[in-house]
Amino acid sequence: MSSVFYDRFERHSNAEGLKAHATHYCPGCGHGLAHKYLAEAIEELGIQDRVVAVSPVGCSVFLYYYFDVGNTQAAHGRAPAVALGHKMANPDSVVVSYQGDGDLASIGLAEIVSAAQMGIPLTVIFVNNAIYGMTGGQMAPTSLMGQKTATSPHGRAVMAGQPMKMAELISGLDGPVYVERVALFDAKNRNRAKKAIKKALQIQAEGRGLAFVEVLAECPTHLKMNPEEAEAWVREKMLPVFPLGVKKDSVPEPWFKPQAPSFDPEKVMQLVGGSSDHTERHCTTFPTHLDLHDVSLKLAGSGGDGAQTAAMLIAHAGINEGFDATHIPSYGPESRGGTSYADVHVAKEEVHNPAAPKPHIVIAFNSPSLVKFGPTVRPGGTILYDSSVVKNPGKFLEGVKVYGVPMTEIAVDLGKAMVKNIVALGALQAATGLFPKETFLAAIRKALKEKCAMIPLNEQAFAWGVKAVETLSS
Amino acid sequence: MTELRERPKPFLLPEFCKGCGRCISACAKHCIEYGKEINPQTGLVPVVVDLDQCNACGLCITACPEPYGLRESPVAHDFELEDPEKLYGTRHSTAPEPVDIPPEIIPLPPSEPLVIKGNYASAIGAILAGCRHFYGYPITPSTEGAELMAKLLPLLDGVFVQAVSEVATVNHLYGTGGAGLPCMTFTSSPGFSLMLEGISYMIGAEVPGVFVNVMRGGPGLGNIAPEQSDIKLGVRGLGHGNTHAIVLVPSTPQEMLDLTILAFDLTFKYRNPVVILSDGYLGQMTGKVTLPRTMRKPGIPKWAVYGDRNHRKNLISSIYLSETDLEKHNEYLNGKYASMAVETRAESHLCADLDVLLIACNTPARAAKGAVEELRNRGVKAGLFRPITLWPFPVGQLLPIAKRAKRIVVVEASAGQLEDEVRIALSRTEVRDLAPIEHVRRMGGVLPQQDDIVGKVKRPYAANKAAARRPEVHA
Repeated sequence: MSSVFYDRFERHSNAEGLKAHATHYCPGCGHGLAHKYLAEAIEELGIQDRVVAVSPVGCSVFLYYYFDVGNTQAAHGRAPAVALGHKMANPDSVVVSYQGDGDLASIGLAEIVSAAQMGIPLTVIFVNNAIYGMTGGQMAPTSLMGQKTATSPHGRAVMAGQPMKMAELISGLDGPVYVERVALFDAKNRNRAKKAIKKALQIQAEGRGLAFVEVLAECPTHLKMNPEEAEAWVREKMLPVFPLGVKKDSVPEPWFKPQAPSFDPEKVMQLVGGSSDHTERHCTTFPTHLDLHDVSLKLAGSGGDGAQTAAMLIAHAGINEGFDATHIPSYGPESRGGTSYADVHVAKEEVHNPAAPKPHIVIAFNSPSLVKFGPTVRPGGTILYDSSVVKNPGKFLEGVKVYGVPMTEIAVDLGKAMVKNIVALGALQAATGLFPKETFLAAIRKALKEKCAMIPLNEQAFAWGVKAVETLSS
Repeated sequence: MTELRERPKPFLLPEFCKGCGRCISACAKHCIEYGKEINPQTGLVPVVVDLDQCNACGLCITACPEPYGLRESPVAHDFELEDPEKLYGTRHSTAPEPVDIPPEIIPLPPSEPLVIKGNYASAIGAILAGCRHFYGYPITPSTEGAELMAKLLPLLDGVFVQAVSEVATVNHLYGTGGAGLPCMTFTSSPGFSLMLEGISYMIGAEVPGVFVNVMRGGPGLGNIAPEQSDIKLGVRGLGHGNTHAIVLVPSTPQEMLDLTILAFDLTFKYRNPVVILSDGYLGQMTGKVTLPRTMRKPGIPKWAVYGDRNHRKNLISSIYLSETDLEKHNEYLNGKYASMAVETRAESHLCADLDVLLIACNTPARAAKGAVEELRNRGVKAGLFRPITLWPFPVGQLLPIAKRAKRIVVVEASAGQLEDEVRIALSRTEVRDLAPIEHVRRMGGVLPQQDDIVGKVKRPYAANKAAARRPEVHA
């Protein structure tokens, strides 16, 4: 009797009477054998303290009644996902996902296949008895063709598909290192089953990989047979469909040795971008000539025009100056080439409403953007557009200042069309005086901290944007 | 000197035998037969073992499916005279009584504010709260959160797993949370729907975990634009059964960080998942975020199933098979839910002296705040009440303000999910003479705008009511 079983099954009806020492399984059920071999293997390997057993849904839902190990009970089919969560929390634990055929081969297919392919060390014990036990004898994904069950009363037919051969399916994946199918119907096979379960545990305990053992088991109750007949049925009917043997055995050297997570405050601060570096301020006052409290901008173009980056730089610049600022991007569903527009606010105290339905300033990188957002600009506001691509800007409200700046042409002349958004920022500065030049340039330099080589080009682009507007104004 | 050792022969207490007979065919010596007599204790018919021919091969023991069925007989014991309880019932579990390993608070140096998106702020909040385990499935508009975790966690020897689905995600959280460690996911509405099954299990089994749902337009695939589409799910629909969880509703990138840190505190304080309902707009919104001056290193709570000796006794499960046990568990959960009432949080803006009370949360609260400013500039005494917890609802904070208001307008980006919460909360106060509740609602990814709100308030109540009564015509 393995010491890995509780001395009293307290969780089994509070160990009332015989339930203290008897399982809830029907007479002759294969689960009891699988439990025994698992308990013996845990004991022989000396890993009892490290084991977390994940109980599934199905007849073995009460696995935790019996095993004196850490226990978790999972939702139907999700045991491998739960097991992975445990293993990742404590890489030194030995996590067993014990599952039946409905749990593993039907509702939990995605979980087992993905866990198996990931190959993180786990031990999966898959008990296949070709029928649903707990719900009362319905067809399992592993029921045989022609097998009569409560939901295949005329026998499993072609419309229900063929039985799932999980050991073969799992062994076809790259992740698992050891896959075997065993059976329980005679002494020789029971011995093999016990060895396979032990090996599957050892592989995990040594950090070598994921092991999967499929156990062909008897369900005398729902096969409506006595245990002896059920053993014969497994041997004669199941074996031809589910051939026994090792399906995969490529156990590598131990490799799974994750480090304990770091809680070093300096490292954390560096990674999250927290820094005590103070950016110099250049504004003496909020740009009250634009608005007393809150200036809003709309930047719009095609994806790739750099509207979002420019918007982000404006928000950064505002916050560096001690104001509040927000930036909200809006993209079309396409990753590239769709419409892309940004709402930006810079507020003296606090941005209340971050949307910009009636902006003070519109920057349009193409015609559709100008057509869409140009008319939304407030009376007395400013419109900047890329005159390299917009040839007929149309008419806007009187009093709106409109600047056509050849943003793309300037950028191309500088050698990189990409910097047209920085040209736009230069133009914005000159046209509106939102912030001093140095405020923009500081934000640009900070953004390019990791790509210093790009700074001169961007500074030039900014200067040309300023110049273009100054030329227009003069 | 060699010692003669006998292999132990099998031993069976008839009351532990179900009489399945799997041992019979295992025995080459035909020592075992089906019994004929019903055991009066069990009502079953145990096998009969006659050890005369037994050569102690042990195959019958290996064939017995019962842990306390056929066993090796204890050597040198006159077991027939011993009380079975004494023989087999005295070996108690060696697992120790678990103890708490408390978390540590670690000071952080002062830093300049970050300028980051709401989703990033939430991810950084999680890291500062001690979360080193992230599981998730990419879904717009929440993905930046997962992407930042994927970038940072490996550098901190943490764990980032891109799960096969949201269903797997929530169960990874069930595992890691069950092991007692802080863990989280980012998702958006359709993904949150898929996680509800697992959230119900987590609540039932008292497993902590933080869910950041960056809500988008629904139903169905809907779209990826912001909607407050899952207030109903978060507050009243966390899977099957008697479930509740604290629901936090940030409205700025700063709050995405602050409330994520708070969520990790609360999820462990109550051993219950915590849901952060953000919206697509806020997730994508860049703003100013100030970092806190401390971070956390988690401990391991005593209830965890960590997979070590200290926690071997523990069980994480939501099964209570007997009706009375499950009723008791639900009563216990109800007590826990009730104790969460102290966590209600809300902000009020210009509510000391008001005629028109706006109620809004998430991004719509910002448009509402803008509207309050505009209305005040026009001489309308407006104020904003912004719940920060939607469950439990901060009705204690709302009621005194609502009593003063001549009009109450709920502003939301959904078909009335927030208003339902306001109405339920106020109706339970039994205060009946409150102003009627009006609303500004947009759906489908359209947010209520400042103009919509100002326009609504500027129309007198009677006009709004007449407008509402007019049948809607769909073009």
